[in-house]
Order: sequence, then C-alpha cells, then structure tokens
Amino acid sequence: MWFAEAEEVVEVVRGHFPWTCLLLVPILIAISPVHGAHDFTAYRMQQFDLQGTQYGCRNTLVNLEARPISAKMVTRRCVLAKLSEMTADRYKELKEQGAGALVILLPESLNSSPQDVLNQWMELEPLMLEQEANMPVYFATEDDELLSIHSDIQQAVSGDQAPSAAQALLSAVYANGFQMVVSGSQAKPVKDGHIISFQGQLTGKGVEDQLPTLAVVAHYDAFGAAPHLSHGADSNGSGVVALLELARLFSKLYTSSRTHAKYNLLFFLSGGGKFNYHGTKRWIEDQLESQESSLLSDVSYVLCLDTIGAGDELYLHVSKPPKEGSESHQLLQELEAITKSVNPSMKFSMVHKRINLGDDWLAWEHERFSMQRLPAGTLSHLSSYDSASRSTITDDISRVDSSKLARNVKIIAETLAHHIFGIGSSEMEVFVDGYDVNKDSIDSWIKYLSSEPRSAQLLTKDEPLLNTLQSALSRYLKDVKRLTIKADKREPEYVFYDGLKFTVHAYNVKPAVFDLFLAAGIASYLGLIYLAVQNFSMLRDTVRSYVAKKPKIH
Amino acid sequence: MTLFHFGNCVALAYIPYFIVYKCSGLSEYSAFWKCVQAGTAYLFTQLCKMMILATFFPTSEGGVNHLDIMGEFMKSTIDLGDLIGFYFIMNSISAKGELKFLVAGVGWATAELIMTRVVPMWVGARGTEFDWKYIQLSLESNVNLVQHISTAALVWLWSRHDLNKSVQPIVVTLLALSSYKPLVVEILIHAAGLGSWTLLLAKSFFTFGVGFVALQLYVGLQGTLNHYTK
Repeated sequence: MWFAEAEEVVEVVRGHFPWTCLLLVPILIAISPVHGAHDFTAYRMQQFDLQGTQYGCRNTLVNLEARPISAKMVTRRCVLAKLSEMTADRYKELKEQGAGALVILLPESLNSSPQDVLNQWMELEPLMLEQEANMPVYFATEDDELLSIHSDIQQAVSGDQAPSAAQALLSAVYANGFQMVVSGSQAKPVKDGHIISFQGQLTGKGVEDQLPTLAVVAHYDAFGAAPHLSHGADSNGSGVVALLELARLFSKLYTSSRTHAKYNLLFFLSGGGKFNYHGTKRWIEDQLESQESSLLSDVSYVLCLDTIGAGDELYLHVSKPPKEGSESHQLLQELEAITKSVNPSMKFSMVHKRINLGDDWLAWEHERFSMQRLPAGTLSHLSSYDSASRSTITDDISRVDSSKLARNVKIIAETLAHHIFGIGSSEMEVFVDGYDVNKDSIDSWIKYLSSEPRSAQLLTKDEPLLNTLQSALSRYLKDVKRLTIKADKREPEYVFYDGLKFTVHAYNVKPAVFDLFLAAGIASYLGLIYLAVQNFSMLRDTVRSYVAKKPKIH
Repeated sequence: MTLFHFGNCVALAYIPYFIVYKCSGLSEYSAFWKCVQAGTAYLFTQLCKMMILATFFPTSEGGVNHLDIMGEFMKSTIDLGDLIGFYFIMNSISAKGELKFLVAGVGWATAELIMTRVVPMWVGARGTEFDWKYIQLSLESNVNLVQHISTAALVWLWSRHDLNKSVQPIVVTLLALSSYKPLVVEILIHAAGLGSWTLLLAKSFFTFGVGFVALQLYVGLQGTLNHYTK
C-alpha cells in the first residue's frame, strides 16, 4: 500500500518537474554568486560642492564595456586610457560624446614619466577639476593585468569598431572584450564633513595683551585630481614643515629669559585650505567676534606660508602694497635684505594682486586676513596664484628639495627674529650653532607628510596624521587648540562626498552575437551526436563483421 | 557570461545524455528508475572513496605546480573502487545483458554530471566573465559519458564466465587504464605541457580508443553467444 503512495508522490514530482525547475531558476539567480576575474583598486576623481557650485565627477557606478581612447564610439562605454594618451582636447571630446566612464591608468611613479606627458597632464588636470563631469572618472595604478587588459581592448572586439562584419565576427571569437563594473552605492554627501585646524602660541616677555603679535599660518591639506592621490608635498607640505620648524626654533628662544622677545607669536595650521581657506575663515571670524580680546584682533602681521619647498625665488604676495613706514613695509624690507644675505643669487620680490571678490576661488590664504583688514601676505616660490602645481597629484616628494626648503625656513626664521628683536643689520645671524635650522627634521617631516594622501575629505576625523600634527605643535607651543568646524546645515559652504576609493572589476566578455554563433555550433554538434547514436548499430555491425571474419582466418 | 551562455553550456553537457538515453533503447525499457538507482550507487561509492581517502591518505603538501605522482597514484588506486561500484550495480539490477551496462554507465555518468558539473557551471558560466573552460567542461562531460559506458561494459565483460580466456588480460588492462586515466592526464599536463584544448582532445582520443576496443570485445562475445544459441 505504501508502495502505491510512493508511486503517487513520484508521479507528482515527475508531472510537475518542469514547473518546479521554473520556480527554482529565479530563486537561484537571486542567491547565486558570480565570479569576477580582474579586480583592481581605483580612486575616484574629486567630487565636492563649494559655495553652491558643483565640482568634479558626479557619478560613481559603472557597468560598461571597455573601449580604448581611440574608439570612435564612446557613448555608454567605459574608456580605458593610459595617462600618456590623455589630452585635454580628447577629454573634452569624451565629455561631449557622453562617454559612460573613464579609467585613467597612472604609471607607477608619476614624476618619472616623460616631460611632455607631464605637461599634457598639467594642462588636463585643472580642466578636469574646474568643471563638473557626469561620467565617473577613476584613476588606477598600472599593473601587469591592467596593461594586458589595455592592450587587449586595442583590438577591435565588436561591430562598432571592426572594418567589416566578417572581421567583427572573427575577432569576437579570438579577442577579449572587457566589462568594467563598479558596484555599490552612488556617492553621498558626507554628513559630518569636519574641517580641523590647530592653533598655538608663544607668549612674549611681559603682559601678553600689551605686546604686539606676529602670526604664522599654513594650511596642511592637499588637493589633486583624486583625493586619494593628493600627497601635496610642496603645496602645502612644505609650508607645514616650515611652520613646525619655526615653532621649534622660536620655542627654544622663548624658553630662555635672555632671548625672550617682547612679541607674541601665533601659529595656525589651517584645514580646508584648498577649499577656499575655510578653516582660516572660521578661525578669523571666531577670533574677531569673541568677547575676550584675542591675539589676532590686533596682530601686527600675518605671514602665510604656501609652497616654499623648491626654487630659487621667493615672492611675497599681498593684496595691498604696504605703506611706507608701516610695520608690514618694514617686514618686507627685512625679508628682502635677509634673502639677499642668506643667498645673494636668490630672487625676491613682492607680488601685488587685488582680491577679486567676484571670483569663486580665493587666490592666496592671506586674502582671508586682508578681507578683515588684517595686514597679511603669503610667501611662496610661485610667482602666480594660478600655477597648476599647487593642486596636482604630481606634487609628490620629488617636487620638494629639502635643502632649499631648509634655506627658505632659515630666511623666514631670520626675518622674524630680526623683526621681533629689532636687529638692524641683515648680516647678523640669530639662528647659529645649537639654534640652527634642523635639516634632518625637515627632511623627515616632509617625507612623512607626503607619504600619505592629505586631502581635506580624508582628514575629517581622528586621523593619525592630525594627532601627530597636534602633538608636534604641543611640544613647542602653548595653548594648542584643535578647532573643528562643520559646514552650515542649511546652506553649506562646502560639501564633501564619500565613495572615493573603489574596487573595479574587469570581466572578460564576448559580444551577444558570439553566444548566438556558439548556440548554432552546439546545435549542429548535438545533431551529429544524434545521428551517430541513431546509427550506432551500423558501427556495431561493421565491428561485428570485422570480428566475425577473424575466426575464419584461424 | 549570461544566462544564454549558461544555457549553451548546459545544452552541450546534457543533451547528449538525453539522446543516448532515448536512442539506446533505455527509454523503451523504462529504465529511468534503474538509472536513478545506478546514480545512487555512484553517490554511495564516492562517499566510501572519500572516507577511505580522508582516513588513510595524507593530504599532499606540494604547491599548485608540483606533480605529486605518488599521491595521484594513490587516488587513482582508490578509483578502482568505482569498478566495484559498477560490479555491484550490475549485480543488483535485473536486466538483459547489454541493457545492464548501459543502465550502469548512463546512470553513473549522469550522477557524476549532476554532482560535479552543475555548480561550477552555475557559478561560472552565468557570470559576466567569459571563459572557454565551461564549454570545455561540457565537452568533457560528453567524453565522460563514453568513458563510463565503456568502463561499465568492460566490467560486465570481465564478470562473464563465458568470456574467452585469451581476452581476459585485455579487459583487465583496459580497466586499469581507465582507472588510472587521471594519473596519465596529470603526467601529460606536466610532461608535455598540454593546453586545455589539446588535453581535451587527448582525453577524447584515449576514451574513444578504450570505447572502441570495448565495443569490439562486446560484439565478439555477443557473436559467440549468438553462435551458441544458434
């Protein structure tokens, strides 16, 4: 009896088998994993909003076929190009044609590329950052797999590239096409996009409030095409190193009562410098609005340091030429004299540029102070604010000459010392013997700072780098404070976005027509098998007749 | 690649089995459940083999490219268990002679196909990534069908008492050859450095050779049978 029941169950399963299968398929599709082949890390281009304007690439996700940069049809395709193939014109074309995505392969060490490639890139990078782009742009470092993918896609794979249909078909079998996939979620604005700055001071001899004050300011963040690739050694690692060294030198002077000057020194390491000096802006506002009298409100001069790690020139950028007889003018003259005495072949000059309030971007950090009518200037080896080398991913350690940086630090330190001690002769050196500029420390600091990306987006929380900077300042200065600012909730001055580092999957794919041909091939193969099995008896008979013959021979 | 590609691979792998089942007369004898029984026996045999492997043989510690002949030899020796499995199936299935080994061969091969090919194909062939290896896997499963049928036929021949004594050594040699095929393949890969396509070709030549000899022996035996009955 139970046997009959079992038979029934079997019958049910047999009867509904196709339906069960049909039900199973979607479930299996939903839960099953799919393998990827070539995975590589890619860094997404900058994306941020500043004062309501959108910059950088606005998209994240990619699921498109890879094409070489030379492809005629790039619409809804992912263009994979080496850095050496990218030109500003081609980039504009890609944007116009609506390329789906762009992956740029960077050589292992960017600065060892040929000079013309670098020049091309220095032309392209500002262009990329200046406008928003709808296609996702990624940067990846070249490796063997990526290079082989790059060379594979140079061959025509599908119809839109091949000269004839037959060739397209043939190449579909041999050539490898690639599907580039970046999955995850679309980049979102970072909720707590903090900008962190540090303030510290050395108090002069006497009553603090009655003494004049000099301020030294440098921003520590870096900027480039992609946040994860912005190491910013010269801009503005060099300024940070100089500020730290100055803090060390003057703290040494200020500990001894014989060399304790009647001047307060204020140091400020600002964050968000590449985002219109936002950390500086808030700091000035806070200082000026605060009830207690602050050192900044009657500062005699603010010296900003920006990009001073190379070159044999120094420029003091100001928004207003200092009046003769003013303290600023005096400082300028001292700076000029001391530059000459430290190295006679060096060029020093003042560059005057008025603040352009209509411009979206402020030129130099001192403009933040000048706007509040505080006397200020920025020292740099760059003669112009719009030099591309201030915001590029090529700005790595090789761009900084630490001996030149040390020399510049020496010039600044001597100038400040001459000013606060009131030394007239430019020939006299203050920082000699045990008080001299420490080249080794400068060298190790600049190496440390340029060893990892220092984009403002990446340094919003308790990053080790921030803690290191704070503890370095605390070692030399008093009242070291960490200032954390947040963007305004309703009208944010700046918005950072997440999703800056991704894993890109490159899948080896064939065009759909290839599957059709494969299906036809398989069908004919199965037909042959069917015929063979159908006519198996023929084979058997042949063998039989052959075997049957044998005994006759014996 | 896509579901379509997966479909292609599955068609290539499974339809020959279906054709063989339909055209060899198995379906006429409604031997479906017998084939399922043979498949169950396959599962049981593999389980036993695995238990023995796990209990008595140490894991090979060589790298990926290291040729561990001894280890492979041991594994192939355990594969002799398959022959016992075949023997067991054919003893327990009541069917006419030639049907017996067809049932055993087809059932066994189908069980193997389901157990070893479905998951890799599902995971691999359906993915975005294209690779020829899934087509190769499907073609190889076709070769395996021939392989298992001829092995079953050989075991059946060996178990016959009316088999000519002079062909007994040939049967044993062929059985040993098909059991040690993985070892030969392994050596071929390392010694000749065969690519995946040539390896597949070599495998199919080998298998069809064994199959042809098995067919010849079977036909010969049948001839003598017919002779007696006549």
